Amino acid sequence: MMASRTVQHNWNLDLCTYFLNSSLQLLWTHREDFQRIPELAINPLGDRIINAFFSEGEDQVNFRGFMRTLAHFRPIEDNEKSKDQNGPEPLNSRSNKLHFAFRLYDLDKDDKISRDELLQVLRMMVGVNISDEQLGSIADRTIQEADQDGDCAISFAEFVKVLEKVDVEQKMSIRFLH
Amino acid sequence: MGAAALRALPWALLLLLGPLLPGQRLQADATRVSEPTWEQPWGEPGGITAAPLATAQEVHPLNKQHHNHSAEGHPKPRKAFPVLGIDYSHVRIPFEISLWILLACLMKMGFHVMSSVSKVVPESCLLIVVGLLVGGLIKAVGEKPPILKSDIFFLFLLPPIILDAGYFLPLRQFTENLGTILIFAVVGTLWNAFFLGGLMYAVCQIGGSGLNHIGLLANLLFGSIISAVDPVAVLAVFEEIHINELLHILVFGESLLNDAVTVVLYHLFEEFANFEQVTIIDMVLGFLSFFVVSLGGVFVGVIYGLIAAFTSRFTSNIRVIEPLFVFLYSYMAYLSAEIFHLSGIMALIASGVVMRPYVEANISHKSHTTIKYFLKMWSSVSETLIFIFLGVSTVAGQHYWNWTFVISTLLFCLIARVLGVLVLTWFINKFRIVKLTPKDQFIIAYGGLRGAIAFSLCYLLDYEHFNMRDMFLTAIITVIFFTVFVQGMTIRPLVDLLAVKKKQETKRSINEEIHTQFLDHLLTGIEDICGHYGHHHWKDKLNRFNKKYVKKCLIAGERSKEPQLIAFYHKMEMKQAIELVESGGLGKIPSTISAVSIQNISPKTLPDSNALSALSKDKEDEIRKILRSNLQKTRQRLRSYNRHTLVADPYEDVWNQMLMKRQKMQQAELQNAYLTVPANRIDSPTMSRARIGSDPLAYEPKPDSENLPIITIDPASPQSPESMDLSNEVPKGCGGLPPSPEEDEEGLVMRPKEPSSPGTDDVFTPGTSDSPSSQRMLRCLSDPGPRQEPEEGEPFIPKGQ
Repeated sequence: MMASRTVQHNWNLDLCTYFLNSSLQLLWTHREDFQRIPELAINPLGDRIINAFFSEGEDQVNFRGFMRTLAHFRPIEDNEKSKDQNGPEPLNSRSNKLHFAFRLYDLDKDDKISRDELLQVLRMMVGVNISDEQLGSIADRTIQEADQDGDCAISFAEFVKVLEKVDVEQKMSIRFLH
Repeated sequence: MGAAALRALPWALLLLLGPLLPGQRLQADATRVSEPTWEQPWGEPGGITAAPLATAQEVHPLNKQHHNHSAEGHPKPRKAFPVLGIDYSHVRIPFEISLWILLACLMKMGFHVMSSVSKVVPESCLLIVVGLLVGGLIKAVGEKPPILKSDIFFLFLLPPIILDAGYFLPLRQFTENLGTILIFAVVGTLWNAFFLGGLMYAVCQIGGSGLNHIGLLANLLFGSIISAVDPVAVLAVFEEIHINELLHILVFGESLLNDAVTVVLYHLFEEFANFEQVTIIDMVLGFLSFFVVSLGGVFVGVIYGLIAAFTSRFTSNIRVIEPLFVFLYSYMAYLSAEIFHLSGIMALIASGVVMRPYVEANISHKSHTTIKYFLKMWSSVSETLIFIFLGVSTVAGQHYWNWTFVISTLLFCLIARVLGVLVLTWFINKFRIVKLTPKDQFIIAYGGLRGAIAFSLCYLLDYEHFNMRDMFLTAIITVIFFTVFVQGMTIRPLVDLLAVKKKQETKRSINEEIHTQFLDHLLTGIEDICGHYGHHHWKDKLNRFNKKYVKKCLIAGERSKEPQLIAFYHKMEMKQAIELVESGGLGKIPSTISAVSIQNISPKTLPDSNALSALSKDKEDEIRKILRSNLQKTRQRLRSYNRHTLVADPYEDVWNQMLMKRQKMQQAELQNAYLTVPANRIDSPTMSRARIGSDPLAYEPKPDSENLPIITIDPASPQSPESMDLSNEVPKGCGGLPPSPEEDEEGLVMRPKEPSSPGTDDVFTPGTSDSPSSQRMLRCLSDPGPRQEPEEGEPFIPKGQ
């Protein structure tokens, strides 16, 4: 089944659990459906974003998976901060948001952003007019700035540290409900 | 007496500045002999030297006048030739202006010397006090102190400050919080104006005989004048407390954008006060005029900004006057908006914001520095002058003190501000992702300072229609003093007490830039998937439009295609290099020059043939020493080499030699038995992403192999500077060699750039191979990855030294 745009407009995070128990569990979305979205085609990270929705090796995602991925982008509510600390961290916590972004960099899933992975992302963002050496030195500089344990790659902890000044809660949040 | 005058000179300059000027004004009025003759009282030896000449002479203006008249009483048959004459009236106005500015600067200097005081008291307060003192002195001498004329204020003193603010406006935070800022500026100011005006009207009605005659409109006008938060005062105070960026941009943005509201309300009520009756139509027209004023102002600013950007595209040959274009176009925007009674401040800000990205891409690095420092200098001097004149005008103006009016104004101002902020924040928080905490709200309310704009607007009031102008002035001055002194002084300890987040001093790192852009793309993608057209979506659309059409028109040459990331990286490397020079000094020029940093400091250089950068003799010697000691071997490879015809920048020579050496090494290695990955054809982004999408690990950056020709540099060939293009692995069209196949495709190589890149000035030393951080980087580079790093082959770059 295709997830049409109207369904996308109408989905509602808070009703997620209700839908999970209903027939909407049978909704499947395929990669081509995502690729049909025109803006994603011109987005430099389009392919990676699409891949983030699909779990390893699978070619289709159901509604629950779709929601799980999008749940990362829910704004952090104030009252959530005081919820019990013992429970599992909500998907839209700062750490989980950053982890989501980290996974988009780290394709081989070794929990490190290596120089090559960084280069690939840079190449995608910057286009084709820039030479490799330039990108290489930018990547080197980036890693050098962030790297603290000297392994010439950016681990998740280093990634978090580098972004500590960036207001991730605001940047990675979308107000879904108008 | 002369000795005493000489000893008193330093104090004379400071203390007598005030009395001098109005003293001269009086004298100019009195009839004088066209030129004082040599019968001047030369008996005063203080008159011999230049500086005390003016002072000592002017100290006794009355004496001189007597003398002049006495001289006139006995006309000489023939005037002897005046060896030394005095003609002050000739230079009076510039002289006085210079003296006032000099006083302002000396005061500023003095405050920093007395650092203990300036830690507690913000500079603006001290300056007002100085103004009060100077005004008091002038009055004590019996002269009339000058009042801050509204023309001078609005035409000369205010624009530099606003331009400085607008040109360096942190655009990212501004646009992210634009909704909040607009609501505070528009709704907040309207609320303040009407609340205050209405309440003051009520007070006037019940306030006794002195106030009864002030009508509703006059009160509303008063409310509209005093309700606006003043950008000058806010800047002056907030600059010193280093508060976090969000709060700073909220209060400051509000103070800038509320100008439109103030202008509209002011003109509205001023006009209405002349009408007998105010009809609905008038009110509707007033409402409409708000949009006209604000949007018209922005429109005028945008037009001038675009023209300025377009002009800067062609200034590559006249670098010295580039800053002038920026200043002139912005000032014209301001004046043009003022012609039509549009909001001049918004025009100024719009033009600054619009022209900045394009102008900065076009102008040279030195021009950029010039603009920055000129703007800071002018705005600083303006601010100082404004505060001093506020003090002087307080002493000079006629005041009408009415306890009820003044106290109630003060009270209601504060109440209106607090109430307004509370209500608006409650409303705004429903739409914000990051809510404003009560601490934030307190700072926003507390930061609502009033300043000189209110004073000048009131001063502009026509005395005939508003005979209570003096009372208004007194009340306004009281509120200004209260906000600047009390709120200005206490905000710093309050900020510390409430532990409000401070500004992070560190500069933006390359990591932040990359990851922020990454997140931007990510969020845009997610928004597209959801079908939710939010902030990121529109920003992305604007960026695309900008890249596709606007940049091509407004940015000269190849820089129009430069991605933002690269530009940021270049700026960062430049800054680092310059800092290194400044901290280390020339003595620390390393024995080798890091390939990486040079490459990125000046990747696209075409020598500016008209402006051969003049190196000092020392630098040249250092560079020659380096070349001599390290690059002996490569020198012989060059067939013909003439520095003066080739290139102006000597660092480029070093780089080029290293580049060639590196290429030789690579060629040797590659021939030696290293697998050559078949070169990936560079195709369109979609195709390459498709490839990545199918197999993320298969993408290899193009190895810099292929045919590396021997480089012959022919200085006579016009192509030769281009072949020096640093990031070209394979120099194009060099020495008659056919370009390799890759070059035919759009792509990998950077085309030669026009000499408009703000990179290649002579100030820097690429000395990063010294620092431990770059050594670590080199160590990293030597870590063999999937393809061998070219730097490893270099014998003369120390590895992990």
